[in-house]
Amino acid sequence: MSKVATVAFKECREDVFAVRGMGLYLTASLVLSAFGLLLVGNTELSLLDNAQAVYMMAGIILALAALIAVVRGSDGFAGERDRETLEALLISPASGEDLALGKLTALMVSWLLLYLLAVPYLWAVGSAGQNLSAALLYLFLAGTILMTIFGALVLSLSARVKSFKSAMSAGLILFLFAAAPVALGPSLRQSFIGRVLDWLNPFAVAMNMLDAVIIDSQTGPGRQLLPLMILAGYVAVAVWILWLSSRRIEL
Amino acid sequence: MRRMLTGLLFICCCTVFSAATPAQVEAAANQPVNISVFLQAPDPPLQMGDLPVFKGEVTNHGSSVLKSLVVYLSLVSLQPGQEHPVDLEDWSAQKAIRIDQLAPGQTIFQEWKMRLIKSGSFGAALTIVNPASDQPQISPLALFDINPKPTVLAGRILPVAVGIPLLLAGLFFLIWRSRR
Repeated sequence: MSKVATVAFKECREDVFAVRGMGLYLTASLVLSAFGLLLVGNTELSLLDNAQAVYMMAGIILALAALIAVVRGSDGFAGERDRETLEALLISPASGEDLALGKLTALMVSWLLLYLLAVPYLWAVGSAGQNLSAALLYLFLAGTILMTIFGALVLSLSARVKSFKSAMSAGLILFLFAAAPVALGPSLRQSFIGRVLDWLNPFAVAMNMLDAVIIDSQTGPGRQLLPLMILAGYVAVAVWILWLSSRRIEL
Repeated sequence: MRRMLTGLLFICCCTVFSAATPAQVEAAANQPVNISVFLQAPDPPLQMGDLPVFKGEVTNHGSSVLKSLVVYLSLVSLQPGQEHPVDLEDWSAQKAIRIDQLAPGQTIFQEWKMRLIKSGSFGAALTIVNPASDQPQISPLALFDINPKPTVLAGRILPVAVGIPLLLAGLFFLIWRSRR
């Protein structure tokens, strides 16, 4: 087994499949259940088009994914430092890059589990409407990309700061910066400045792409090439920052 | 019959609320009606979730060019017991357009897309405001019915919304017990 796979396996065993990890998935499922029950119980929401409901649920899933990336990513190096287990990791044969890549891989496993958990909810909400399969495909792409971006950036912060609290605070600020403009709604983002801010924010790019696919049915091949390329650019930058940060990890 | 009466009431309200002073009303009353406006509802059947096109038609019957006309769409619910104006923002409709100029005898066609988000009986009308006149023109009410469509199915959501947290809680408990 390669060093990266060994680190990823250790992370999954300690976090993803542990009681702590299960608690996170239970919370995520409760959030999705609450939204589903709101859709059924609220007369205004129950009038929503299926595609609109799927889009809203996809937004919640992406926000949960980004939040998981922030929580797990903050714990990546800073949590090990707090628990005084980082030294043991650093004297292992795995290099800093191996450790970072292994931890990022474990984050991807977390995303995969969250996605599998979300599929029945999306089916329940959107199976009577249009674009459900496209929604599932693009949600998987968008979630994988966002998890990589947020995970890599917060892991690199975690490698640099001294405590889990500091890494978590910085990660949450990053998350708020990314999520806040999206909460403003599309009408306020129609201006030139709003559009520029949207392109600068990977979360907004992902949400706009899902909007185009799920609601506007722009599912044809190549229709979402531009947002995907922009998101790929953000992935490259985030992974590069993580690589730089993990080259020299200090206790 | 009740729907027609409500529609008539809606048109009367639109006319009354075009706030004009008595002098202006007198002046407008002397002006010949030289614009006609017509709105065509999409062909039935219409269902919730559809995005049909409403076709509007504005014609200048006068002898002078009309400038800077504003044409806007209004929607009213005619469901018995629930008659009320509908906020078009929820229906994602393009509400108003501006016609820079309309030559004598010229007809302009315009389309309004509307996302049908609620079932029931509705009426839509176009209103034209001419800055040179204080008398808005209103089209006849275009009546249409929207059939309900089951959008969110409780029978599908409830088992998932209740079952998955219970399943995870059970798994959570098993893992917790096995580690003790």
